[in-house]
This record gives sequence, structure tokens and C-alpha cells, in this order.
Amino acid sequence: MGRFIARRIVAGISLLFVITSAAYFLLYLSGGDVARNLLGPTATDAQVAAKATELGLDQPLLTRYWDWLSGALTGDFGNSWASRAPVTELLSGRVAVTLTIVVAAVIVSGIGAVILGSLASSRGGWVDRTIQVASLVGAAVPGFLIAMVLVLVVAINLGWFEPTGYINPSTSITGWLSTAVLPITALAVAGVAGVTQQVRGSMLDERRKDYVRTLECRGLSSRTITYQHVLRNASGPALNVLALMFVAMLGGAVVVEQVFSIPGLGKLTVTSTLSSDVPVIMGIVVVTVVLVVILNLLIDLLQAWLNPKVRLS
Amino acid sequence: MKFSYRAAALTAVGVLALAACSSTDNDSGADPSSSAATSETGAALAPLLNLGVVDSPGQGGFVAADMSFATKAPYGQAIYDTLVRATPSNLLEPSLATDWGYDTSKTELTLKLRDDVKFTDGTDFNADAAAQNILRFRDGSAENANWLANVADAVAEDAQTLVITLSAPDPALLLNLSRAAGYQQSPASFDSDTPVGSGPYILDETQSVVDASYVFDANPDYWAPDYQHYDEIAMTVFDDPVSMQNALMGDQLDAALFTGYQGFDQIEGAGYTAHEYAQDWEGLLLFDRTGQLSEPMGDVRVRQAINFAIDKEGLLEGLAGGRGEVTTQVFGKETPGYDAELEYAYPYDPEKAKSLLAEAGYADGFTIDFPTVSFVPQATFDLVGQQLAEVGITANFTDIAPQDYFPTMLGGSVALASFRLEQPATAWETYSLELSQGAPWNAFHTPDDTVAGYGETIQTGSDADSAAAAAELNKYIVDQAWFNPWYRTITTFYTDAETDVTPQVGNVYPYLWNIVPVTN
Repeated sequence: MGRFIARRIVAGISLLFVITSAAYFLLYLSGGDVARNLLGPTATDAQVAAKATELGLDQPLLTRYWDWLSGALTGDFGNSWASRAPVTELLSGRVAVTLTIVVAAVIVSGIGAVILGSLASSRGGWVDRTIQVASLVGAAVPGFLIAMVLVLVVAINLGWFEPTGYINPSTSITGWLSTAVLPITALAVAGVAGVTQQVRGSMLDERRKDYVRTLECRGLSSRTITYQHVLRNASGPALNVLALMFVAMLGGAVVVEQVFSIPGLGKLTVTSTLSSDVPVIMGIVVVTVVLVVILNLLIDLLQAWLNPKVRLS
Repeated sequence: MKFSYRAAALTAVGVLALAACSSTDNDSGADPSSSAATSETGAALAPLLNLGVVDSPGQGGFVAADMSFATKAPYGQAIYDTLVRATPSNLLEPSLATDWGYDTSKTELTLKLRDDVKFTDGTDFNADAAAQNILRFRDGSAENANWLANVADAVAEDAQTLVITLSAPDPALLLNLSRAAGYQQSPASFDSDTPVGSGPYILDETQSVVDASYVFDANPDYWAPDYQHYDEIAMTVFDDPVSMQNALMGDQLDAALFTGYQGFDQIEGAGYTAHEYAQDWEGLLLFDRTGQLSEPMGDVRVRQAINFAIDKEGLLEGLAGGRGEVTTQVFGKETPGYDAELEYAYPYDPEKAKSLLAEAGYADGFTIDFPTVSFVPQATFDLVGQQLAEVGITANFTDIAPQDYFPTMLGGSVALASFRLEQPATAWETYSLELSQGAPWNAFHTPDDTVAGYGETIQTGSDADSAAAAAELNKYIVDQAWFNPWYRTITTFYTDAETDVTPQVGNVYPYLWNIVPVTN
């Protein structure tokens, strides 16, 4: 297991290097006149030139890349071009906000999908058909539309939650709930819909296997067979889909955070991209890749824990 | 020293007005049982102002020398005092400077400064600090550093006397010293990340999230408590007008600048009061007035034809929901030189446009490159392209990446472009920004002796001569069709029932001290 983890970490670091390098060079190609855009139309050419020098934009691409890489290796991602704030400071607060929302949405998706998928596979009939149709609808409706409807109906018309903003749970749990429930819901709808289908399909496959018949012959209750055996064996594919959902939700957070005006990684991605704020964009790329690598590692470990066959392979 | 007399008179009026305001503030107050703080004069401060802003402080952060103004004014005005203060109609009042005056050549400005002001780090505000701030802003990376481009030097004659020497007269200097160019930061904090001013509020960095929300606490020792109305101000950044609208309708904001035009009815239905004012003009900037890129554009009749070809009323209705004022001039209604009669200089008349094109030798029309960009609604290009086509001008649209749009326009790469430009408060600013040979929005830096002559009079002449020259300049620019303005856009500042505001002439965001709790 140790070698397995070490191999995954080395692969993750390689992936991180490749993706950040590609991102840096792509940003260079689409850069435009960053100094002019930062200073505005009335800045003089001398001001613009001084700003470009200050930001290192007058340096060759490879020099700039090396400066960024050597800083990043020591944990120094530089300062935002658009706000002058240290990138690590900008990211630290926002990563926590986005992760809180996305992880909560993943948990809600997982729980919801297990409940609905189990019900659909075990009950069949109209329950199964209703859940399948609902899953299709949930997967088809775009997240931003769900977010906008939730804001208009639940927050503004009913007044149950705050329409915008974010309160840290360490400040107030009720405050956090008032600002986080709707974005989590908006993200989780697609998650529940997608994973439910996977859980249902995997459970139906498992139910057809011989060991289920054996367990039934031994007189185990349907509930015990479903939740102690079928669900456990069916959880592998569902976990993979859930992991993919996590990555998709990180992407979905860009839109949802914009709709709810949440100061998270998604909103930062939009503003930093619009202002060509390379240090911040690179910081976001690094964080995102690291999160995905860690998540995949965790999923692999979870799979191994759930299924000894995976451990052996 | 005529400005000194003017300042004294304004001070007297201002003091009376403020005395009236502060007495009503006392009455208004917050709930007596609330924990509202009191200012130095004992007047109750309202507990909290939730303000919606459309921009974060930007690349300058909170460094006074690098700060922007316009939509970003509330940030600087919370922390920093300015040397002089502008009333909502831009009359100048004392602030950190109590008195000021020019020499006869208008190239030396002497300001007498208060001797009782301290920065929030405990250091004294004095002329040496003011001189350093002036020079730092001139040499800094602020978007409006050109406001002090004519400043040759700034020196402290003594602790309370600041002398600013100019390389050429600058009619807008004092007004600019009431804006970001006049921000005063403690020299002890020049190298620090924490902004230190002498202003009405102090940034609470622990409660603030960079680029998202900023919290300011009242400066308990503020020297001008009549300009401090709240115990705490929370500014939340909304870069999406729909989110801003949702926050307003969800009662999360007390006041906000709203830039979109959809959703007005819902917001007003939610109990907010709309304060509307014309701020910018929207239209075509006809850059290539000498026909360098597009030969037809060098003929004034072609530029006039474009003006006649555009249905301004139709565009106002179609693009701005009717919220605006049709115009033909780049001088704002409050700007010296504005001429109401010029508003109708180019009525929608496609036949007249065709006739002018024929006179200019383009009876069969011509094709012109027309840049488009994603942050200008596509409908703008569709409608304008259609109207130009009706008179025979074919727009060859080319999409420009948002980050390249400014450099493309300002670099002289396009003969014309669609954009929204501000209408400055003074004729000198209009001349300097849009008309002079060196003006950034005169992208081809078109030389014109007539324009330069009027500009010189505006710069150096008496108030009366300057105003007359501004009016002549405005008429000349309209006749020469340097631009094709369609309409002045309406900016809307919303306040809830407990908040009131007086908008600022020449600035899109009302000045912070003019956003006040409602007095009962």
C-alpha cells in the first residue's frame, strides 16, 4: 500500500508540473496588454511601461516562468496583479469557502444518491420510474438555472435564506446555513441525479449475482442483503462517479458562486481571468490540480478499503 | 487670491448647511436602545451602512498614491481625507486645506493646512506629508495620475503651508485635489501594507475579504465628525448586476450603485428609491478624422452622415430601455460649454446621410472595419450595423478580445469604435481627455489648431473667457462630427427607506459622506 501511495504521489506531482507549465504558456499566448488594462485608458505610455517592468512583463517568457516556478516551489505564488494582495492570502480564504460548499454538496449528493438509488433498485415499479425521470431532469437542468430559481423563489420571495454572500461557519452556524444551503442545493442537484443512476445500475447488477441468491437462501433479510452486501459491492463505481462529480462541482462553483456572490475560488477564477491576473490564475490552477490529485488518491484508498480485490490488484 | 474669498464664502454656507444637517442627524439617530456610537461632537452615528459597490479597489490596492477614483471612490474616501472637498455640485470647500490661492500666472498654488489633524497612526498631518503625497500620486501608478501631470513640484514652505508649482496652468487641479489626487496617507505607512489615513473610517482588515467585501469602522477621533455618519460601513463588491439586484431585493443592502437597466421595476417595487443622474455618454468614437485607416472618415461630410444615419431614440429604447437622454455632444449638462441647442444637431435622417455621402463622393457607400467586443451587448452592433447599412455604409465587424479592446482603440488601430465615455465635470477635463492632440481618447492624436486655440483659452483664460471658449469648442466638435454620441446613460443609485443620498456631479459614485441616514 505504501508503494501504491508513493507511486500516486509521484504521478500527481508530474501531473501538477505538466498542467501548470501548459497553463502558464497558454496564458502568455492570450495575455494582451495587461499593464494597459490594469491602469486604464488614461494612463500615460510611460506609466504603462513602468507597470509592465514592475510586473516583469518585459522579461523573456522563460525567465518569467522560471521566476514563477522557483517561487511556487517555495510556496511563494507572488502578489495579485489586480489587487496587490499575496496570492496565498487570496487563495487560503477562498479555498476554504469553496471546499466547504463543494464537500457539503458531495456529501449531500452521496447520501441522496444512495437513498434514491437503493430505493429505485429495490422497489422497482413506479418508484423506480419516478426516480429515474427525476434523475434525468436533475441532470439536464443547468446548475445556474437552479441557482437563479432558488434565489428568486426561496431567498427573495419566501425569504428563507440569504440571496447573496457567505458567512463563515466559525462565525455563526445558523448564518452559514442561511448562506450555504442554497448554493449547496444548486450544486447537489446534478450530483444526486448523476450518482443515483450509477448506484441504481450497480445495485441491480449486484442483485443478479450468485452470492445474493446464496445469501437469500441462507435466510438473510432483504434489508441486510441490500445494505451490508449489495450496496457495499456496488459502491465502487458510484464512488468513481462521485469523485468525478467533485471535480465537476469545482467547475460548477464558478457559476454558482457568481450567482450567489460567494467569495470563493470560482468567483476568484472569473475575476482573475477577466483581468488577466496571471499569478492568481496560476495559484488557482495549482490548487485545483492538487485537490483533484488528493481526491483521486483518497478515492483509491477508499475503494481499497471497501473492496479487498482492488487492494490486491 | 480670489479663490480664498470664494472658499471663505463657501465655508460659511457649508458650515450653516452642515449645522442644519448635524442637528437633524441628532434627531434622526438610530434606535435609542441600540448600541450606536457617537461621533466626536456627540451626534449619534447610525450603526451600519451596507453599501453595494461594483468594483474592488483595483491594482492600486489601498495605497493612496495608486488608488483609482470613479466607482472606486468610496474606498479612498473612507480612509483618506483630501486637501479640499467638493460639494455635490463641485464647488470647493476647505478640508485639510483651509485656504488656498494662485499667483497671477496660475502656476503656483499655495494652500494653508489645518494644524489639528493627526493620522490614525498618531503622526501629525502637515505640509511635508502633503507634499510627499502630491508627488507620490503624480509619480505613482494610479489610473488618474495624469490629474497631476502639470505638477512640477510640491514643497512645504512651513508646517502648515504647501506650495504646488505647475509647469502650466491647470484649471482642474483644485477639483482633482478633492478627488484621489488629494488623498493624504501617513508617510509612516508608505512602505506598509496597512493603509493609514486621517479619514472618517479605518479599514478592518480582519473582517474584510480582498476583492469581495470590505469593512470600515468609524475613526473615533475624526476631526470632521459632520462628514462621518455611520459606526460601521460594509462595502460588498458585486461584479454581476443580477447578484446586486438580488442582494437589493433580499434586503441585504442599504444603498447601491446599479449599472444594469433590467430589473428597475422589481427593485423599486422592493421599496428602494432610485436616484438617477446622467453620467456617461454612449456612442461611436470616430477616431480617424484624417482618413489614415479609412479614407472616407477623413471627410467631415462622411462623419456627419454617420451622425444622421443613427437613430438615437431607437437605440436608447432598444439598448437602454429608454433610460437615458438623447444627445449629440460630449460635454455634459453640468459642464461649462454645454449647449442645449446642440442636442438636436443631428436628427435621424437617413436621406440626409445619403445625400452627404453622395456629396463626399461615396454615393455607393463604403466599407469600414468595426471592432466588436463581448462586454458591449451584441444588439448594439446589430442595430448600428443595420442603420449604417441603410445609408450604404457596410460595417465589417471583427471581434476583439476584451483584454485587447482598450489597446486596440487607444493605439490607433481602428477608425471607429463603440464605447461609453464619461462626461467630465469640467471643460478642461473634457478637452484634456477627449479633444486635445495628446488626449488619450483622441486616439489618432488629430492635430487641430482651432481646438488647440479653444483649449488654451480654457486653460489660461478668466472664468468667463474659459466658459465662452468651451461653448465654442463644443459647437466646433459637434459641427466637425468628431464623435457620434447617441445618448447619455442614466446611472441609478438605490437607497432604502433609512438611507438618503445626494449624487455627485462628475462622478459615477456619490461621495461617501453624502450617503446619510434618513432623518425623521
